[in-house]
Amino acid sequence: MSTEALFNSIQHSALGSVLGTAHPLIGALVQLVHIAGLLLILSAIVLVNLRLLGFGLKRQSLPQLVKATTPQIWYGLALLALSGLFIFIPSASIYYANPAFWTKFILLAIVLVIQFSLFKQITSAESPKRAVAVLTAFTSLVLWFGVAFAGRAIGFI
Amino acid sequence: MSVVSILQQLHDTQLGTALRESLIMFPLIEGVHLIGLALSVGLILITDLRLVGLFLRNVPVAEVLNGLRPWVLAGFAITFVTGVVLIVAEGPKIWEIPVFPLKLVLIVLAGLNALWFELKYGKSVSVWGEHSTFPNGAKVAAWVSLVSWSAVVICGRLIPYLDTTIH
Repeated sequence: MSTEALFNSIQHSALGSVLGTAHPLIGALVQLVHIAGLLLILSAIVLVNLRLLGFGLKRQSLPQLVKATTPQIWYGLALLALSGLFIFIPSASIYYANPAFWTKFILLAIVLVIQFSLFKQITSAESPKRAVAVLTAFTSLVLWFGVAFAGRAIGFI
Repeated sequence: MSVVSILQQLHDTQLGTALRESLIMFPLIEGVHLIGLALSVGLILITDLRLVGLFLRNVPVAEVLNGLRPWVLAGFAITFVTGVVLIVAEGPKIWEIPVFPLKLVLIVLAGLNALWFELKYGKSVSVWGEHSTFPNGAKVAAWVSLVSWSAVVICGRLIPYLDTTIH
Protein backbone atom coordinates (compact mmCIF):
# COMPACT_ATOMS: atom_id res chain seq x y z
CA MET A 1 0.00 0.00 0.00
CA SER A 2 1.34 3.45 -0.86
CA THR A 3 1.71 6.06 1.86
CA GLU A 4 -1.01 8.09 0.22
CA ALA A 5 -3.42 5.15 0.28
CA LEU A 6 -2.49 4.46 3.89
CA PHE A 7 -3.22 8.07 4.87
CA ASN A 8 -6.54 7.89 2.99
CA SER A 9 -7.56 4.73 4.79
CA ILE A 10 -6.59 6.25 8.16
CA GLN A 11 -8.82 9.24 7.49
CA HIS A 12 -11.71 7.04 6.33
CA SER A 13 -11.39 4.54 9.17
CA ALA A 14 -14.10 4.28 11.83
CA LEU A 15 -11.90 6.22 14.26
CA GLY A 16 -11.27 8.85 11.61
CA SER A 17 -14.99 9.39 11.12
CA VAL A 18 -15.69 9.55 14.86
CA LEU A 19 -12.93 12.10 15.50
CA GLY A 20 -13.78 14.00 12.32
CA THR A 21 -17.36 14.60 13.41
CA ALA A 22 -16.45 15.71 16.95
CA HIS A 23 -17.65 19.14 18.07
CA PRO A 24 -15.33 21.98 16.90
CA LEU A 25 -14.73 22.98 20.52
CA ILE A 26 -13.31 19.51 21.21
CA GLY A 27 -10.93 20.20 18.34
CA ALA A 28 -9.94 23.47 20.02
CA LEU A 29 -9.46 21.65 23.35
CA VAL A 30 -7.13 19.16 21.66
CA GLN A 31 -5.12 22.09 20.27
CA LEU A 32 -4.78 23.43 23.83
CA VAL A 33 -3.42 20.07 24.99
CA HIS A 34 -1.02 20.14 22.04
CA ILE A 35 0.36 23.58 22.95
CA ALA A 36 0.63 22.57 26.64
CA GLY A 37 2.74 19.57 25.61
CA LEU A 38 4.85 21.81 23.41
CA LEU A 39 5.48 24.29 26.24
CA LEU A 40 6.43 21.45 28.62
CA ILE A 41 8.95 19.95 26.23
CA LEU A 42 10.41 23.18 24.81
CA SER A 43 10.90 24.78 28.23
CA ALA A 44 12.86 21.70 29.38
CA ILE A 45 14.91 21.71 26.16
CA VAL A 46 15.63 25.45 26.45
CA LEU A 47 16.64 25.11 30.12
CA VAL A 48 19.18 22.33 29.44
CA ASN A 49 20.52 23.95 26.27
CA LEU A 50 21.02 27.31 28.02
CA ARG A 51 23.01 25.43 30.65
CA LEU A 52 25.09 23.75 27.91
CA LEU A 53 25.82 27.17 26.45
CA GLY A 54 26.84 28.49 29.87
CA PHE A 55 23.71 30.57 30.52
CA GLY A 56 20.62 30.27 32.72
CA LEU A 57 21.15 27.81 35.58
CA LYS A 58 24.89 27.75 34.88
CA ARG A 59 25.91 26.83 38.42
CA GLN A 60 23.87 23.61 38.39
CA SER A 61 25.27 20.19 37.59
CA LEU A 62 24.45 19.37 33.96
CA PRO A 63 23.56 15.67 34.52
CA GLN A 64 21.32 16.61 37.47
CA LEU A 65 19.52 19.26 35.45
CA VAL A 66 18.95 16.70 32.69
CA LYS A 67 17.64 14.21 35.25
CA ALA A 68 15.27 16.81 36.74
CA THR A 69 13.84 17.78 33.35
CA THR A 70 13.57 14.31 31.74
CA PRO A 71 10.09 13.51 33.16
CA GLN A 72 8.89 16.85 31.78
CA ILE A 73 10.09 15.83 28.30
CA TRP A 74 8.22 12.50 28.52
CA TYR A 75 4.99 14.13 29.77
CA GLY A 76 5.29 16.70 26.99
CA LEU A 77 5.86 14.01 24.35
CA ALA A 78 2.90 11.98 25.63
CA LEU A 79 0.55 15.00 25.49
CA LEU A 80 1.84 15.93 22.03
CA ALA A 81 1.51 12.40 20.64
CA LEU A 82 -2.02 11.85 21.98
CA SER A 83 -3.37 15.23 20.91
CA GLY A 84 -1.38 14.98 17.66
CA LEU A 85 -3.06 11.69 16.74
CA PHE A 86 -6.43 13.26 17.46
CA ILE A 87 -5.57 16.12 15.08
CA PHE A 88 -3.96 13.89 12.43
CA ILE A 89 -6.31 10.90 12.08
CA PRO A 90 -9.48 12.68 10.86
CA SER A 91 -7.50 14.80 8.34
CA ALA A 92 -4.71 12.42 7.29
CA SER A 93 -5.26 12.91 3.53
CA ILE A 94 -5.02 16.68 3.85
CA TYR A 95 -1.73 16.38 5.76
CA TYR A 96 -0.33 14.00 3.15
CA ALA A 97 -0.29 16.86 0.63
CA ASN A 98 1.17 19.40 3.08
CA PRO A 99 4.96 20.00 2.79
CA ALA A 100 5.09 21.63 6.24
CA PHE A 101 3.69 18.41 7.75
CA TRP A 102 6.48 16.31 6.23
CA THR A 103 9.13 18.88 7.16
CA LYS A 104 7.91 18.77 10.74
CA PHE A 105 8.02 15.00 11.04
CA ILE A 106 11.40 14.60 9.31
CA LEU A 107 12.84 17.19 11.73
CA LEU A 108 11.09 15.48 14.65
CA ALA A 109 12.53 12.07 13.70
CA ILE A 110 16.04 13.54 13.46
CA VAL A 111 15.79 15.45 16.74
CA LEU A 112 14.37 12.48 18.65
CA VAL A 113 17.25 10.24 17.49
CA ILE A 114 19.76 12.93 18.48
CA GLN A 115 17.98 13.62 21.78
CA PHE A 116 18.24 10.01 22.94
CA SER A 117 21.74 9.31 21.60
CA LEU A 118 24.24 12.14 21.12
CA PHE A 119 22.44 14.65 23.37
CA LYS A 120 21.98 12.11 26.14
CA GLN A 121 25.65 11.16 26.00
CA ILE A 122 27.02 14.73 25.91
CA THR A 123 24.81 15.89 28.79
CA SER A 124 25.80 12.93 30.98
CA ALA A 125 29.20 14.58 31.47
CA GLU A 126 29.65 17.13 34.27
CA SER A 127 31.41 19.58 31.93
CA PRO A 128 31.63 18.61 28.27
CA LYS A 129 34.19 20.35 26.06
CA ARG A 130 33.09 23.90 25.24
CA ALA A 131 32.98 23.40 21.46
CA VAL A 132 31.04 20.13 21.76
CA ALA A 133 28.58 21.68 24.23
CA VAL A 134 27.92 24.72 22.01
CA LEU A 135 27.51 22.61 18.87
CA THR A 136 25.14 20.19 20.62
CA ALA A 137 23.04 23.01 22.07
CA PHE A 138 22.73 24.80 18.74
CA THR A 139 21.80 21.59 16.92
CA SER A 140 19.17 20.74 19.51
CA LEU A 141 17.67 24.25 19.63
CA VAL A 142 17.57 24.67 15.84
CA LEU A 143 15.92 21.26 15.35
CA TRP A 144 13.35 21.60 18.17
CA PHE A 145 12.46 25.16 17.18
CA GLY A 146 12.30 23.90 13.58
CA VAL A 147 9.75 21.28 14.61
CA ALA A 148 7.60 23.93 16.34
CA PHE A 149 8.04 26.33 13.43
CA ALA A 150 7.10 23.78 10.76
CA GLY A 151 4.23 22.59 12.93
CA ARG A 152 2.83 26.11 13.17
CA ALA A 153 3.18 26.49 9.38
CA ILE A 154 1.00 23.40 8.66
CA GLY A 155 -2.18 25.39 9.15
CA PHE A 156 -1.11 28.14 6.74
CA ILE A 157 0.23 26.13 3.81
CA MET B 1 -10.70 57.75 18.62
CA SER B 2 -12.01 54.23 19.11
CA VAL B 3 -9.94 51.07 19.27
CA VAL B 4 -11.57 49.80 16.09
CA SER B 5 -10.64 52.92 14.10
CA ILE B 6 -7.01 52.72 15.31
CA LEU B 7 -6.88 49.05 14.35
CA GLN B 8 -8.45 49.91 10.99
CA GLN B 9 -5.79 52.55 10.33
CA LEU B 10 -3.03 50.04 11.18
CA HIS B 11 -4.76 47.48 8.97
CA ASP B 12 -4.78 49.95 6.04
CA THR B 13 -1.08 50.83 6.27
CA GLN B 14 1.34 49.54 3.64
CA LEU B 15 2.78 47.12 6.19
CA GLY B 16 -0.64 45.72 7.06
CA THR B 17 -1.57 45.23 3.42
CA ALA B 18 1.80 43.69 2.54
CA LEU B 19 1.49 41.20 5.44
CA ARG B 20 -1.96 40.03 4.34
CA GLU B 21 -0.90 39.71 0.72
CA SER B 22 2.23 37.72 1.47
CA LEU B 23 1.94 33.94 1.59
CA ILE B 24 5.12 33.42 3.55
CA MET B 25 4.94 36.21 6.17
CA PHE B 26 2.04 34.78 8.16
CA PRO B 27 3.46 31.33 8.90
CA LEU B 28 6.84 32.98 9.53
CA ILE B 29 5.52 35.47 12.08
CA GLU B 30 3.22 32.93 13.73
CA GLY B 31 6.19 30.54 14.00
CA VAL B 32 8.42 33.17 15.63
CA HIS B 33 5.51 34.16 17.93
CA LEU B 34 5.32 30.53 19.09
CA ILE B 35 9.08 30.21 19.67
CA GLY B 36 9.08 33.48 21.65
CA LEU B 37 6.24 31.98 23.67
CA ALA B 38 8.24 28.84 24.42
CA LEU B 39 11.06 31.04 25.75
CA SER B 40 8.97 33.49 27.74
CA VAL B 41 6.01 31.50 29.06
CA GLY B 42 8.05 28.26 29.08
CA LEU B 43 10.71 29.72 31.37
CA ILE B 44 8.12 31.66 33.42
CA LEU B 45 6.35 28.36 34.16
CA ILE B 46 9.66 26.83 35.28
CA THR B 47 10.33 29.85 37.54
CA ASP B 48 6.80 29.73 38.99
CA LEU B 49 6.96 25.98 39.63
CA ARG B 50 10.27 26.51 41.47
CA LEU B 51 8.71 29.30 43.57
CA VAL B 52 5.74 27.16 44.62
CA GLY B 53 8.11 24.28 45.37
CA LEU B 54 7.02 21.80 42.69
CA PHE B 55 10.16 21.80 40.53
CA LEU B 56 13.96 22.12 40.86
CA ARG B 57 13.71 22.31 44.65
CA ASN B 58 17.48 21.84 45.01
CA VAL B 59 18.24 24.91 42.93
CA PRO B 60 18.36 28.23 44.86
CA VAL B 61 15.45 30.51 43.91
CA ALA B 62 17.89 33.38 43.36
CA GLU B 63 19.70 31.41 40.65
CA VAL B 64 16.44 30.50 38.89
CA LEU B 65 15.17 34.09 38.95
CA ASN B 66 18.43 35.82 38.03
CA GLY B 67 19.56 33.16 35.56
CA LEU B 68 16.33 32.95 33.60
CA ARG B 69 15.12 36.59 33.79
CA PRO B 70 17.04 37.87 30.72
CA TRP B 71 15.76 34.92 28.63
CA VAL B 72 12.18 35.42 29.78
CA LEU B 73 12.43 39.11 28.83
CA ALA B 74 14.05 38.31 25.47
CA GLY B 75 11.31 35.76 24.74
CA PHE B 76 8.66 38.26 25.79
CA ALA B 77 10.14 40.90 23.45
CA ILE B 78 10.00 38.42 20.53
CA THR B 79 6.40 37.43 21.32
CA PHE B 80 5.37 41.05 21.85
CA VAL B 81 6.86 42.38 18.60
CA THR B 82 5.46 39.52 16.48
CA GLY B 83 2.13 39.93 18.28
CA VAL B 84 2.01 43.63 17.37
CA VAL B 85 2.80 42.73 13.74
CA LEU B 86 -0.09 40.24 13.74
CA ILE B 87 -2.39 42.96 15.14
CA VAL B 88 -1.29 45.36 12.36
CA ALA B 89 -2.22 42.71 9.80
CA GLU B 90 -5.50 41.49 11.25
CA GLY B 91 -6.48 43.83 14.08
CA PRO B 92 -10.05 44.75 13.08
CA LYS B 93 -10.92 41.09 12.43
CA ILE B 94 -9.52 39.58 15.64
CA TRP B 95 -10.82 42.46 17.78
CA GLU B 96 -14.32 41.13 16.99
CA ILE B 97 -13.48 37.81 18.69
CA PRO B 98 -14.10 38.46 22.43
CA VAL B 99 -11.34 36.08 23.49
CA PHE B 100 -8.75 38.47 21.97
CA PRO B 101 -9.52 41.58 24.09
CA LEU B 102 -9.75 39.16 27.04
CA LYS B 103 -6.25 37.94 26.20
CA LEU B 104 -4.95 41.54 26.22
CA VAL B 105 -6.54 42.18 29.64
CA LEU B 106 -4.95 38.99 30.98
CA ILE B 107 -1.53 40.02 29.63
CA VAL B 108 -1.84 43.33 31.49
CA LEU B 109 -2.85 41.50 34.71
CA ALA B 110 -0.04 38.96 34.38
CA GLY B 111 2.39 41.81 33.63
CA LEU B 112 1.29 43.84 36.66
CA ASN B 113 1.66 40.74 38.85
CA ALA B 114 5.20 40.20 37.50
CA LEU B 115 6.03 43.88 38.07
CA TRP B 116 4.73 43.75 41.64
CA PHE B 117 6.73 40.58 42.30
CA GLU B 118 9.91 42.10 40.85
CA LEU B 119 9.61 45.31 42.87
CA LYS B 120 8.70 43.60 46.14
CA TYR B 121 10.77 40.41 45.94
CA GLY B 122 12.87 40.38 42.77
CA LYS B 123 15.53 42.82 43.92
CA SER B 124 16.05 41.21 47.33
CA VAL B 125 15.96 37.61 46.08
CA SER B 126 19.64 37.06 46.88
CA VAL B 127 18.71 37.64 50.56
CA TRP B 128 15.51 35.57 50.91
CA GLY B 129 16.02 33.22 47.98
CA GLU B 130 18.74 31.21 49.68
CA HIS B 131 16.45 30.16 52.55
CA SER B 132 14.37 27.02 52.30
CA THR B 133 11.23 28.87 53.34
CA PHE B 134 10.41 32.16 51.72
CA PRO B 135 7.69 34.83 51.79
CA ASN B 136 4.11 33.69 51.19
CA GLY B 137 3.60 36.73 48.97
CA ALA B 138 6.18 35.39 46.52
CA LYS B 139 4.33 32.07 46.38
CA VAL B 140 0.98 33.77 45.81
CA ALA B 141 2.50 35.83 42.98
CA ALA B 142 3.86 32.61 41.45
CA TRP B 143 0.40 30.97 41.50
CA VAL B 144 -1.18 34.10 40.02
CA SER B 145 1.51 34.04 37.34
CA LEU B 146 0.96 30.34 36.54
CA VAL B 147 -2.79 30.80 36.19
CA SER B 148 -2.73 34.12 34.32
CA TRP B 149 -0.03 33.21 31.76
CA SER B 150 -1.72 29.84 31.12
CA ALA B 151 -4.99 31.72 30.53
CA VAL B 152 -3.18 34.07 28.11
CA VAL B 153 -1.92 31.10 26.06
CA ILE B 154 -5.35 29.43 26.13
CA CYS B 155 -7.08 32.62 24.93
CA GLY B 156 -4.46 33.10 22.22
CA ARG B 157 -4.81 29.59 20.86
CA LEU B 158 -8.61 29.84 20.88
CA ILE B 159 -8.68 32.97 18.68
CA PRO B 160 -9.02 31.09 15.34
CA TYR B 161 -11.48 28.58 16.86
CA LEU B 162 -13.88 31.22 18.14
CA ASP B 163 -13.71 33.27 14.97
CA THR B 164 -17.29 33.14 13.71
CA THR B 165 -16.32 34.91 10.47
CA ILE B 166 -14.42 31.79 9.33
CA HIS B 167 -16.73 28.95 10.36
